[in-house]
Amino acid sequence: MSTEVMIQAEGLTKEYGDYRALDDVSFEVNKGEVVGFLGPNGAGKSTTMRILTCYLAATRGTAKVAGIDVFDDPLEVRRKIGYLPQRAPLYQDMSVWEYLKFAADMRGLDDATFRVRMKKIVEICGLAQSLGKDIGTLSHGYRQRVGLGQALVHDPPILILDEPTSDLDPNEKAEVVKYIKQIGKDRTILLSTHNLGEVEQACARAIIVSKGRVVADGGLDDIRAKSGGARYIVVVDEKNALSGKAPTEAEVEAALKAVPRVQSLRDIPTDDRAHAFELVGGREDDLRAELYKLCVEKGWIALELRREAKALEDVFRDLTRGDELVSRGLAAEDADEDEDDEEDEESKD
Amino acid sequence: MPPTLTIAKRELGSYFNSPIAYVVICLTQLLLGVLFFFVRNFWQVDKASLASLFELAPFGLCLLVIPVITMRLIAEEKSSGTLEMLITLPVRDWEVVLGKYLGALGLVAILLVSTLVYPLMMFVFPWKLGPIDFGPVWSGYLGLTLMSAAAVAVGLLVSAFTKSQVIAFFVTLVVNFFFVFMHWIGDHVAGPKLGLVLSYVGFQQHIANFARGLIDSRSVVYFASITVVSLMVAFRALESRKWR
Repeated sequence: MSTEVMIQAEGLTKEYGDYRALDDVSFEVNKGEVVGFLGPNGAGKSTTMRILTCYLAATRGTAKVAGIDVFDDPLEVRRKIGYLPQRAPLYQDMSVWEYLKFAADMRGLDDATFRVRMKKIVEICGLAQSLGKDIGTLSHGYRQRVGLGQALVHDPPILILDEPTSDLDPNEKAEVVKYIKQIGKDRTILLSTHNLGEVEQACARAIIVSKGRVVADGGLDDIRAKSGGARYIVVVDEKNALSGKAPTEAEVEAALKAVPRVQSLRDIPTDDRAHAFELVGGREDDLRAELYKLCVEKGWIALELRREAKALEDVFRDLTRGDELVSRGLAAEDADEDEDDEEDEESKD
Repeated sequence: MPPTLTIAKRELGSYFNSPIAYVVICLTQLLLGVLFFFVRNFWQVDKASLASLFELAPFGLCLLVIPVITMRLIAEEKSSGTLEMLITLPVRDWEVVLGKYLGALGLVAILLVSTLVYPLMMFVFPWKLGPIDFGPVWSGYLGLTLMSAAAVAVGLLVSAFTKSQVIAFFVTLVVNFFFVFMHWIGDHVAGPKLGLVLSYVGFQQHIANFARGLIDSRSVVYFASITVVSLMVAFRALESRKWR
């Protein structure tokens, strides 16, 4: 993969009066990367994208797309990108074909090129059945496809997609993610979302923003590794044992808690044939051997024993926790108190 | 095709994709016919003249037709979010403003051309009610076109400042109301000097010149000035989204 920088934001700050929507946001996206741009609602994702697409101007900072400054030559930047704004706002009185033709005309494509591009777009976005239909009669999922189609109509090297799967049902989401993966094979894509599953499926790298600041930027594994420890799932048979009596839940819990370097422990729902617990250990440690030995020593039947990297969702929650509290009218410092409370609760259990 | 014309074509097409164009054209024809033939008693004037048509048309155009046509221009794009999609295409803000303006003005032009049916049918074919001097007719239509150009620009300007089509409609109506009735206010409310100024600022005095067959360059400059200033302010209003 080439390391040519296709999107570059440097110290982007956007203020609306006293409110600072973006605060010194800097990041780069290299050629060929599909990067997830994550953050809770109001974190500054759309504002960043609007600046990159020259819809808004930053209060401070610079941004370049394909090496072109968005403030100096917005027209050329827009030629290089395909942009799908949030909720795919389209002209509902036009048919799909008319709308895509309009987008192509606006981009100066001649008829022959448009028809060649349409073949590809229809194939990628699955629009064959709806080309003659009015956009107003389409489902939200199909409108997203049309929006994606207009972003692709001029075969841009860079795509900026703002929450392309919002408001879609699970099947439609899966479809859109599939398209993104497909079109991301030969393009640079910045994909804004708060759906972490999509990022895990479609992206190798993520940028997490919170309260207008970049709080994490890197490969998904790096981001996971940066936050918190490793998780272990231990499931022990409740009815049978290798020797002696079958263990009670309290016995299993007490024994697991006593394992060195276990940071926290909680029971997780399961059927009535097993005791299931989730443990968190140090990032560098591997507790699987000790947990296995414990089961053997106690004569328990371990139905399941596995180590999981911390889910991106957990990392996201850790990094953007303050946003939610502020949205609920709580002070940001309450985040730590809440966290302590949860830990207390866990240790009480 | 340049982006301005592409936008104008889309805008004009959107009126015909919805009932707006058909309703506006049909009702205007009907209303104008009733007012022209019956209320203003065309048959009793005993003269082959369309003067009363040019006297009545500004009221219908400025107080109903143009506010309806222009209210959606930018306000609807803002409220539905399509403005973001449009502006992030490779197009300059002034091209968006001009394209939308031309689209709306196109519909008004179609409407004006459609009213030519009356003089043509009465004085050319199939009825030949008498010899008509087409000079004042053409200049009258030129006056209506210039006035419409100004009123559409005012409507676009108002639409650029709000997300609400209802607000855009009423504000345009009120602004146009003052332009249309300014001469009346000048005659009845203000003193003689201020009255002269107000009459000049209003539309009617200028339209009356055109209806008489007089193409006064001051009237042309007057309508052109309103148009250009309104479009420039609309452009600035659209551009201001970047900095707010």
